[in-house]
Amino acid sequence: MLSEKTAVTQSENYWRKHLMLDPRPVREMNQMILTAMTTVNKRYWITVTTLTLFVTIGLIGAWGYQIFNGMGVAGIRRPVYWGVYITNFVFWIGISHSGTFVSAILRVFKAEFRRPITRASELMTTFALTVAGLYPLIHLGRTWRFYWMIPYPNQRQLWPNFHSPLMWDMLAIFTYLIGSTLYLYLPLIPDFAMARDRTTGWRHRIYRILALGWRGSESEWHHLKQAITIFAFAIIPVMFSVHTIVAWDFGMTMVPGWHSSIFGPYFVVGAIFSGVSAVATVLIILRKTMQLDYFLREEHFDAIGKLVLVFSFAWTYFFFADYLTEWYGGEAVGKELLTLQARGPIAPLWYIMLITNILVPWLTLWNRKIRTSPKALLVITLGVNIGMYIERYIIVAGFLTRNRLPFDWGAYTPSIVEILISIGSLSTFLLLYVLASRLIPLIPVWEVHEGQISHTLRRVGQALLPSVSELE
Amino acid sequence: MNTLSVKENFVVRMALFDNVDSAAESIAKLKEAGIDDHDMTVLSGVPYPEHVLGRPMTWERLPLIAMSGAGVGFLIGLFLNVVTPLLYPIRVGGQPFVAIPPTIVLTYELTMMGLIVSTFLGVLWESTFPSFGPKYYDIHISEGEIGVLFQVTPSKLKHLTDLLQVYGAKSIIEPEEWRL
Repeated sequence: MLSEKTAVTQSENYWRKHLMLDPRPVREMNQMILTAMTTVNKRYWITVTTLTLFVTIGLIGAWGYQIFNGMGVAGIRRPVYWGVYITNFVFWIGISHSGTFVSAILRVFKAEFRRPITRASELMTTFALTVAGLYPLIHLGRTWRFYWMIPYPNQRQLWPNFHSPLMWDMLAIFTYLIGSTLYLYLPLIPDFAMARDRTTGWRHRIYRILALGWRGSESEWHHLKQAITIFAFAIIPVMFSVHTIVAWDFGMTMVPGWHSSIFGPYFVVGAIFSGVSAVATVLIILRKTMQLDYFLREEHFDAIGKLVLVFSFAWTYFFFADYLTEWYGGEAVGKELLTLQARGPIAPLWYIMLITNILVPWLTLWNRKIRTSPKALLVITLGVNIGMYIERYIIVAGFLTRNRLPFDWGAYTPSIVEILISIGSLSTFLLLYVLASRLIPLIPVWEVHEGQISHTLRRVGQALLPSVSELE
Repeated sequence: MNTLSVKENFVVRMALFDNVDSAAESIAKLKEAGIDDHDMTVLSGVPYPEHVLGRPMTWERLPLIAMSGAGVGFLIGLFLNVVTPLLYPIRVGGQPFVAIPPTIVLTYELTMMGLIVSTFLGVLWESTFPSFGPKYYDIHISEGEIGVLFQVTPSKLKHLTDLLQVYGAKSIIEPEEWRL
């Protein structure tokens, strides 16, 4: 027989650990979110000012300088025509996989821990794609010629070449950007209505427009839920296609190290690996800076830590499959690429990548204590993203330094303009996120409340166990 | 039921409930008392499916709208891949003017874009968004309470008010029309 004292102890244990089993009045949760959104201190404004400064220097100063003086100010030279701009592009597209994976896939599989973390990750997707979208323009050099890729005929009635992976890329990124932005916005409507009802002044005016007149009627909910389901199923294949097509930008060429059929899935897995790690990093920072301890708990870091570990396994598998094929083939240029990584000028970067992407996650994330320690997880996930950036850098700029003609080998060092633009774009992402954190409810209160209604503790033998009933 | 079309000589009331069980039971009692489904609307801060509240299923056109959008996207994709290369034929990379593999990639992307955009527009259309009112509403809805909005003849009002209070209505108010 389960004693009352044991039952109370077990219940308290669950309340402390699981958000879904620790319901609070919706009024209180709304207030927590609004307080987090409307509280700005001196440190916040210093952050905003610093990031604005970096954005101005990078994207107005350095990019403006490059537009004015031409691509010669960048470090790309024969044979390395793709440098940090394309590395950054691939990296940010990878980060953008966070939202879709964490939100859509976990929603489809009804993973309950997703509820408080979907919004923060969806927001990452939209902002990461915005930043990624800048890089084709930056790399283009003559940015004003961008309209040549818009699908309409020019004055000679010539249409863009739709056989080009670059056209596929543009359309895939637009599809993903539109899809992920709408997927971010739809579940936000009820939260905007909540904010509309509790704010005044300029905030009220903005939320009123964004809430579209939401009341929470049966039909509104019905359409919203159905649309979210359609979006969740539709956005997953789009997510896979986007990074696959980015990989095909490389794979469709005959460049040694790039012309590989495994590049599509290899890039997708790498993108999810870095995206999920970035979600962990952002959630840890949000929890600390916005006092979201009630919503973001150990269970969430534990679950994300497990995902990071699983994707570390998956990424390693693809990395090794690609490496082994090159090694076994024994082609001269392939051998040279492997030597370049193991003993060449980029060897230190390659070893850092192996340590941060394989060694550290494998040695640490099997341990629950480490997974649930925000500080440890922050260090590990930041390390993963440094490692993933290096991986992209090696693939993009590193591999181009070697080719089939040894007299045409070269070296690449990013110029100060490229470095400043890279810092500017990173700052753009951070600035957008920091500003949005005070404008957008980062926790979907209605989804949390919906989950809390569905969860109860049920007695099974000598224990109280969590039980979920599906409302749908 | 998104809006309540108020009939002549009817009065509108909103019963607020703290929990879904009381709300569902009260809706059943309202129906027994002769209130038609069309004379009721439920407002809530959480999506309760119709069967939880005992409400009629909503006729749904959203999947149809989404599929239509996907179809339009597919046709645009076909046009770009199959028709435009023939308008000004230039041989690229030894590939045929109309090649199936690139066509698959692009028509796929445009089909998905059509699906996504039309689903969003479908939600706006089906929910008549944006629509800023005036509409019956109460701020307690976004605090987790469930509002059952109903219209009734004045002669029945007293009886129904008493009935709803018995079945757990926290309050029964004359709702305000809000400019949302």
